[in-house]
Amino acid sequence: MQQKAFIAWGAGWLLCLQGALAQAPVAVDSLVSRELAEVVITATRTEREVGLLPMPVSIISKSQIRSLGSVRLNDVLAEQAGLVIVPQVNGQGNGLQLQGFNPDYTLILIDGEPIIGRNTGSLELSRIAVGNIRQIEIVKGPSSSLYGSEALAGVVNIITERPPAGTSGQVSARYGTNQTVDLNGDIGFSNEKGGAYFFVNRFRTDGYDLSPERFGNTVSPFASTTLSGKVSYRLTPATEFAMAGRYFQENQSFQFEVFNNNDSVRTLGDGRITDWNINPTLTTRLSDRWKATARFYATGYRTRSRLDLKQLDTTDYNDFFNQTFARPEVTTEYFLNEKHMFTAGVGHIEESVETSRYGESGRKRQSTSYGFFQWEWQALPRWSIISGGRFDYNSIYGSQFSPKLSTRYEFSDRFAVKASGGIGFKAPDFRQLYLNFFNTAGGGYTVLGTEVALGRLAELEAAGQIASYLFDPALLGQLKAETSYAINAGATWQITPRLGTEVNFFHNSIDNLIETQAVAVTTANQTMFSYRNIRRAFTQGMEANLNYRLAPAWTLSAGYQLLYAKDKDVAASVRRGEIFWRDPETLTSERLRPREYFGLYNRSRHMGNVKLFYRHPGNGWEGTVRAIYRGKYGVGDLIGNIQGEVIPPSNRPGNSILDVHDDFVSGYVLVNVSMAKSLRNGFRFQVGIDNLFNHTEPVFIPNLPGRLAYITASYSFKKQTNK
Amino acid sequence: MSTRFFKSIWFMAAVVLVLMFSSCEEDEPAAALEAITVRNLNADHAPFGPNPPARVGETKKFTFFSFRTGQIVTRADSATVNWDVAFQGTSIIFNSGTSGPGNAGAQFLSGSFEEVTEAPESGYVVDNAPIRAVSSSPLPPGATPTNQWWQNSGTGQSTVVSPIAGRILVVRLAQGGFAKMEILSYYKDAPVTPNNMRDIDRHYTFRYLYQPNGGRTF
Repeated sequence: MQQKAFIAWGAGWLLCLQGALAQAPVAVDSLVSRELAEVVITATRTEREVGLLPMPVSIISKSQIRSLGSVRLNDVLAEQAGLVIVPQVNGQGNGLQLQGFNPDYTLILIDGEPIIGRNTGSLELSRIAVGNIRQIEIVKGPSSSLYGSEALAGVVNIITERPPAGTSGQVSARYGTNQTVDLNGDIGFSNEKGGAYFFVNRFRTDGYDLSPERFGNTVSPFASTTLSGKVSYRLTPATEFAMAGRYFQENQSFQFEVFNNNDSVRTLGDGRITDWNINPTLTTRLSDRWKATARFYATGYRTRSRLDLKQLDTTDYNDFFNQTFARPEVTTEYFLNEKHMFTAGVGHIEESVETSRYGESGRKRQSTSYGFFQWEWQALPRWSIISGGRFDYNSIYGSQFSPKLSTRYEFSDRFAVKASGGIGFKAPDFRQLYLNFFNTAGGGYTVLGTEVALGRLAELEAAGQIASYLFDPALLGQLKAETSYAINAGATWQITPRLGTEVNFFHNSIDNLIETQAVAVTTANQTMFSYRNIRRAFTQGMEANLNYRLAPAWTLSAGYQLLYAKDKDVAASVRRGEIFWRDPETLTSERLRPREYFGLYNRSRHMGNVKLFYRHPGNGWEGTVRAIYRGKYGVGDLIGNIQGEVIPPSNRPGNSILDVHDDFVSGYVLVNVSMAKSLRNGFRFQVGIDNLFNHTEPVFIPNLPGRLAYITASYSFKKQTNK
Repeated sequence: MSTRFFKSIWFMAAVVLVLMFSSCEEDEPAAALEAITVRNLNADHAPFGPNPPARVGETKKFTFFSFRTGQIVTRADSATVNWDVAFQGTSIIFNSGTSGPGNAGAQFLSGSFEEVTEAPESGYVVDNAPIRAVSSSPLPPGATPTNQWWQNSGTGQSTVVSPIAGRILVVRLAQGGFAKMEILSYYKDAPVTPNNMRDIDRHYTFRYLYQPNGGRTF
């Protein structure tokens, strides 16, 4: 299948290339940055005007982030149409759901470089402070053709501030509910030779407790520090050297209750998360048409936690996780003429993980080499095509080819249609390959990564400890990458100068999803699990956005997402009439109709938001009222929240799938308001309330604190240097 | 022409009437089959001790039942053909093979209780311990059922025994004849969403339909 796709892609390229070379070259400099139009870099890895891109891309600007009053990335993303911050149990990261994909399938970048530290699959977005963000770019649909693994659902790229000419700086302090303090400071300098920018953030909170009747907190107190900076220097008129870096540390002290065989165990402890990265870049203009960039990116993530389980005769529980990632990459851009532009790159990734959960085997490594190519073609004045692909070769799971083709046709200045199709993938992660973890909770069970499973099972077999096999270990085999075939198609329509709309339909067909597989039962009646490429699923739906300028200072925006996310095999069994449900009144079995299968857990069919913004440039007042709706959804496959409460699954007994006869978490609306006043002397004051109506769901949505009020004061200055 | 026509009409009407009455007489007994629901059959309930899953006062003895009489059969008759099915915990046995001297057998059909209108001619499985016609173990998550009647719907470490919907057991009885049965609940008074901390387990609620004429239609 993949080979065929590769050949077709290659043949297409040869034909197109021939056409391209026949064009007469015209010198053009696309590197001149446009200051007025909104420009994104994530979709093509080069700066492009967002309105002209053939794939669904959205931007959250700095001024918008400031209006929201948010201080962490998760708060900003939670207010966007179609995005959900999904609570993860046991406090292991509240990740981002995009087009119905789990958090593991969206790549999160800072200035184009990946953030690592997906300890249990999802990435804790509150690690990212927003004070130094210039804009957030969200590309929906697979982007593995440029970014490789994990960019299956899409990419979120955080573009950090670059200093304007002159000297500028800002300090701000915010105080809010739960003794939450957020302090920011940044300073920047730049002239024609180069620039420097430094940012510091300190965040601390007492956390919160949604179940006061239970011991401990829902979120325990934590404090974090972020330092980041970048310097750039123009070595020659055509060559610039830049160096960026970031350091983050978070300390948390835990206090919670877990249940062991229905006995409460009070747990105390502390944990520390550290991440750092360094990113030197050399950019040079080889000619009017050639630009080349060499960059090196190295990053590390480590967590340490020590838990003291009171009332249990076990020793302290110590856990650590160290991950490193290093990547040299060379990319080049070539402007053939106004109609053809090429981007290509090669790179190599070295990754390693060392953790207490991989047994005695020490540090695990894998490496990936890759190359990518992209061709942007303005076929007609109104018709543009972007095609590209990336080839990854990994030391463990083998090779992966990810093509993508996008096109846009402009009927007029006000109406355009666009469509894109591509293949995305996610490589098996270290956990799925090397985990060797015995969990004492729940009578004990063991999870083994596929690379260590056979050896460990053989050891147990030799020691006579295997009671029976539930699955033939010989069939476990090597894990393949999870892949998605996706189509996005939509239109943008500026109906009147004040009213703009946008709609996008999407379909993602996902294969080889990795799931745990029960393999054996030991003589001590403990189940051994490993991983297999088992499931197939699809997500599809529609996203619509509307923007209406009511009056010069007033803007109304609305967004909506319709989502169907289902397991393909379950849907097929339902269609064949093999699945039943039990009527709670009569207790009798009824055949489930295809329409009655709701789909995957944790996906809402309907989501939306309505936001009203007021910004008066003259008098400095601004204000927002935002309402965010999440429709009903089911929960399942959860162990319990941090306070040890058992989360009742939505699924009623009878079958093991989520159908309309089950119990759902009800839909809800969150209302956030904020108000700010900017003074001419550089001071700005803001007050706001998030979750105005204090909506909480202690058991199902532990990451939703109650009402949060805050007040912020900031001072900024900007000085133009005299020549 | 017209008289002959009317005569034949009258004749046909008479024939139809006779046929109708006679067929009514034949149909009446067959329509009387009715499903019976047995509630709270105690299958060796015993409370959990301090170290689950050990139970205090567990007898490990089965409770025997006869579809023919619709009654629980005394344990003294366990070596006779007077019982068809017996329950202990999640174990269900049938009177044949390694479980008893009878000629019983059982097989699962997929469907609703009403949809099963005929017992299959063959395919009945005889208990041959440790492999029995009906497994005492749960359906592994995500697996297609083979001989399992329940799945675990408990969260985390807890076990909640939930009969899989749409699993109808067709039983060949110990002394011949057929019945169909559907297990509805494993907990006392059949709560909609059982809670293993609160509800009393090992109490079967099931409904069955026994065909007394020895035939295979229900």
